Amino acid sequence: MRRWKAFSLTMVLGLIVAACGGGPATSASGEPASSDEVPPAASTAPSSGPFEAMAYPEEPADCEYGGEFSQIRAVDESTVEFELCYPDVAFLSKIAFSSFAIHDTASLENDMVNHRVLARPNGTGPYMISEWIRGDRIIMQANPNYWGDAPIAQTLVFRWSVEAAQRLVELQSGEVDGIDNVGATDFETVENDANLQLLEREGLNTFYVGFNNHPKIDGFDMADYPFANEQVRQAIAMGIDRQRIVDEFMPRGSVVASHFTPCSIDFACVGDEWYGFDATAAKAMLADAGYPDGFETNLYLRDVVRPYLPEPTVVAQEIVDQLKTNLNITATIVVQESGTFIDNADAGVLDGMHLLGWGADYPDQTNFLDYHFGGGSSAQFGDKFDDIVEALQVGASSPAAADREAAYTDANNAVLEHVPMVPISHAGSAAAYKADVTDAQASPLTNEQFAVMGPGDRDEFVWMQNAEPIGLYCADESDGESLRACDQIQEGLYGYEIGGTAPIPALAEECSPNTDGTLWTCNLRQGVTFHNGATFDANDVVLSYAVQWDVEHPLHIGRDGSFTYFSALFGSFLNPPAAE
Amino acid sequence: MLRFIARRLLLSVPVLLGIIFLVFALPRLLPGDPCRALLGERATDEICDAFEVRYGLDEPIPIQFGIYVGQLARGDLGDSIRQGRPVIEILGERLPVTLELALLALLLATIVGITLGVLSATRRNSPVDVFTMFIANAGVSIPVFVLGLVLAWLFGVVLRDTPFALPPSGRLSAALVPQTIPQAWGMEGLTGPLRDILDFVSNMFVINGLVTGQWAILGDALRHLVLPVVALSTIPMAIIARMTRSSLLDVMGLDYIRTARAKGLGPRPVVLRHALRNALLPVVTIIGLSLGALTSGAILTETIFNLAGVGKTLTEAILGRDYIVIQGVTLVVALGYLLVNLVVDVSYAYLDPRIRLS
Amino acid sequence: MTAVTAPEGVRRERPASLWRDTLGTIASQRSAQVGLVLLTILFTLAIFAPIIAPFEPTQVLRDVSRREGPSLAHLMGTDANFRDLFSRVVFGAQTSLQIGFVTVGFAIVIGTVLGAIAGYAGGAIDNIIMRIMDVFLAFPALVLAIAIVTVLGPGLINAMLAIGIVSIPVYARVMRASVLSVRGNDYITASRALGESSTGILFRRILPNSLTPLIVQGTLGIAGAILEVAALSFLGLGADPTTAEWGQMIGAERNQVFNSPHLILFPGLALALSVLGFNLLGDGIRDALDPRLNR
Repeated sequence: MRRWKAFSLTMVLGLIVAACGGGPATSASGEPASSDEVPPAASTAPSSGPFEAMAYPEEPADCEYGGEFSQIRAVDESTVEFELCYPDVAFLSKIAFSSFAIHDTASLENDMVNHRVLARPNGTGPYMISEWIRGDRIIMQANPNYWGDAPIAQTLVFRWSVEAAQRLVELQSGEVDGIDNVGATDFETVENDANLQLLEREGLNTFYVGFNNHPKIDGFDMADYPFANEQVRQAIAMGIDRQRIVDEFMPRGSVVASHFTPCSIDFACVGDEWYGFDATAAKAMLADAGYPDGFETNLYLRDVVRPYLPEPTVVAQEIVDQLKTNLNITATIVVQESGTFIDNADAGVLDGMHLLGWGADYPDQTNFLDYHFGGGSSAQFGDKFDDIVEALQVGASSPAAADREAAYTDANNAVLEHVPMVPISHAGSAAAYKADVTDAQASPLTNEQFAVMGPGDRDEFVWMQNAEPIGLYCADESDGESLRACDQIQEGLYGYEIGGTAPIPALAEECSPNTDGTLWTCNLRQGVTFHNGATFDANDVVLSYAVQWDVEHPLHIGRDGSFTYFSALFGSFLNPPAAE
Repeated sequence: MLRFIARRLLLSVPVLLGIIFLVFALPRLLPGDPCRALLGERATDEICDAFEVRYGLDEPIPIQFGIYVGQLARGDLGDSIRQGRPVIEILGERLPVTLELALLALLLATIVGITLGVLSATRRNSPVDVFTMFIANAGVSIPVFVLGLVLAWLFGVVLRDTPFALPPSGRLSAALVPQTIPQAWGMEGLTGPLRDILDFVSNMFVINGLVTGQWAILGDALRHLVLPVVALSTIPMAIIARMTRSSLLDVMGLDYIRTARAKGLGPRPVVLRHALRNALLPVVTIIGLSLGALTSGAILTETIFNLAGVGKTLTEAILGRDYIVIQGVTLVVALGYLLVNLVVDVSYAYLDPRIRLS
Repeated sequence: MTAVTAPEGVRRERPASLWRDTLGTIASQRSAQVGLVLLTILFTLAIFAPIIAPFEPTQVLRDVSRREGPSLAHLMGTDANFRDLFSRVVFGAQTSLQIGFVTVGFAIVIGTVLGAIAGYAGGAIDNIIMRIMDVFLAFPALVLAIAIVTVLGPGLINAMLAIGIVSIPVYARVMRASVLSVRGNDYITASRALGESSTGILFRRILPNSLTPLIVQGTLGIAGAILEVAALSFLGLGADPTTAEWGQMIGAERNQVFNSPHLILFPGLALALSVLGFNLLGDGIRDALDPRLNR
């Protein structure tokens, strides 16, 4: 990393020295790049000595803080206990998620502060990172010591191109073995090509138009802010012709959303269906709300193709046109960069409407509703709605199916009433592979496992997705492109079945709850080593969770420190910063 | 000659300081608190305090400028906000891609441009002349991004199953992983500046392939470079062709050419031996100045052909509001441009003594 | 350029015939002819856009399919949002002409004032102004424009402003050179002796003489401005997606180049031909006014 500095001086900035006539005033060598607290390089030798079981925190946390965990502790080298504040029916599905991969203790301690963990994570997965040529590709090599079945392809390459057409051309020309998100107009092209195979992906996703009912911007003028008014939001819910959007702009296999969560998920479609399209009623309601002539606002989006939204700016323009035609609302399109957009949405600073969507991480209502509207959700929609939050809490902690159904009926109806957003569609999508790729998948959770795919007679598998991963420490990433890459390198206690959605044991041999569901005991797989050779043990599990959980943990750093998934799935951080 | 160089260097100093100041001012012109503008709205007070101390934002502007220049002199361009690593490191990875693309484009533009210009000038007002000059005019008029897309479509789709098919994106076929030069030469243990330079050069796959004999890499890299290089070279090529033509016509009207002709030299030796050498003087300047067009063009070309060079870094940084990267890239590009112009001026003076004396 | 040195009395007669001569020479240039034809088409499209275009540029049509290829009903096909591409391309002529003239107009006004001050005042003021211009020229145009748009925020107006700012130095240099070339001339000295004010001299005596190079530079500048604003739009820094702007149209549909090339080809062609028109005309004017290149 520092080498470029030395080089830069001679190459680029030497001119300054020359021009200023100063001669070699400053030395090019020495001095760390950013912080001077960078610890010495990681020692990769597995530590020997007696195992000291770690518990975090040392005394169980007071559950008043609002989150799910009370204490996470190592019992012995191969047993971990999770003490919960409330029972969680989706616990296994949650810990199987990419963000909760287990990292090596020494690597976390050495590589977090200097951000090395973002680029060269040390996991236990079937592939290990070999080289990340920024902007171009990520090269991974098979992990020779992998505890499971050895990966078929020795080398796995991730590439990316934002353009569906470009991805298809690369596949057709044989440059890559598989591509994500076949363009909506290319499904038949792929099907008719004997050299290719098309794998359609079920629409376990939701595309929605979000409203921010209370922007978290200092000094924001709430007077006359239309989206603070529930009637305005309801009017828009009625005034968008969602069927047209699905028919004209979405790929084959897409459906209009009747509820926020896709119906193939349990308890997703209980409660009343979404508003039917009625422009006249919508206009009348908007007039009732005090905006007979409409109003002006912003429509924020990111120009990134996702499975739930194949043509962002095009659909945005369609929605702008519909808002104008049906409701006389003048919306200005504001395109933001992906990461910025997500950050801004989570921070609740998008004043107006925004286009966003969600793809299932695990197939449970908690992953859809709780992530967006639960107590631990971000400020994306402004202020939260207490009745939704309460119903979701009941739903997430009731083991009995009848109770869950009742709770989610309440939650869905409350969403329908408050309209924090308008669910538009559940979009079908497809991945395409060369015909000779064996066990090709299009995972409903978009976490394809490449270790089990065979790239024909080649020993290298090349995958081309939509975008470059942002970082590979996925505890602090939330975009599918990063998560998919992480899934090849790192593993959690559980994972998901290949091509499906059920949680299956990974680094744990089994996790089981006590009778009231508040204590989960995980027996860990033994003899697993990390890519650097360190041995996997229970303390690694405790630390991997603790750094995410406790805001005051010295290693709670990540890429930008948001750890979005942790708070979303497990309710709250420990020691959360004082509310603003 | 030395005096000329010294004077020219002296003249560059205020411009250099101006460039640095402009780039320095950039993030400070952003509306609102610079820390929050740079790091996003969620930056906490502690983060912002640390940020202000690091960049000396609590100091008066002249002192801030001094601090900034000091950082530059140490080769510190700041850390990318998005990627969390030094900008200089990012540039080290991506500059070779752009340099390779730009140099090949310049080479192509110069060869074809001068040839066309000579053809045009020697066959003045003939259909060849009219046609060439029309092509030259069209060349500067077709936007790089339109030409790039059309080329990608033509060679990537229309000609897909023909021998003329060319890859429409990327730098190498995925199956190929080039060795770096130190690897290929068995100098893995090498460290220090030489290693840095070799690693830097290794990332120019054409040069890497040439010096290490990785012919598969060389061929594949060239195949990938054809379309972007052609797209990028059109504008400078057109400019060079026009400049060559008009300056050749100027020279051919001069006395000594008439003398040469009167001596009975045929038109070809006259042009090649006497006229062209002098006519190419202004062309040298134009080639230097084309670098501006090349840089602007590279930004668009890299975006279209999915090449991870400095231009793509810049567009990504703009979309990502990664101001530190924008600042760094802008500065390095401007400095490079300044340096090239300096070299062009000096070599021009070397070639033409009249300049030195004026 | 004889007019420059001609005495005051004669000069008044000359412009008309000089202009007539010049226009005649320009019109006889083959490249200028082609340029004029292209520009006539462009201006016609722009002025009569509402009449020529069968639809509104933002009108979403209900009886067509998306990204339809060219047909009789829709000469250039339709775009991703069910809009008539021909209408959008036609209205794009308006946008591009506005971009070209406003941007260059802005740059000329600021540039000539700065250049005139520099040339007229000389000394330290000249030095300061021209060194600042040098700094601006030290950046590749698009890079500096991107930096400026970063500060101003994306948008068509800001993109135009950025390109305008970037173009200032060229005009400042042209103006300064003209001022310097006439400053020492007798008729200026005479005017000054007769008590004419500095600004008077500047506007009545010097400015008219620098018109020709400004016109040449301006015509070529319009081509450049259209191209560069389109490039910014292509990168998503200029016009918003609803505006009928060629660069934006191409940028938005660049993913479709393999499936629906018409969405790239038509706006691309329009853009290239317009730029070509201004370039050819600019060249024609320059050739007509540069005696060395005549015949």
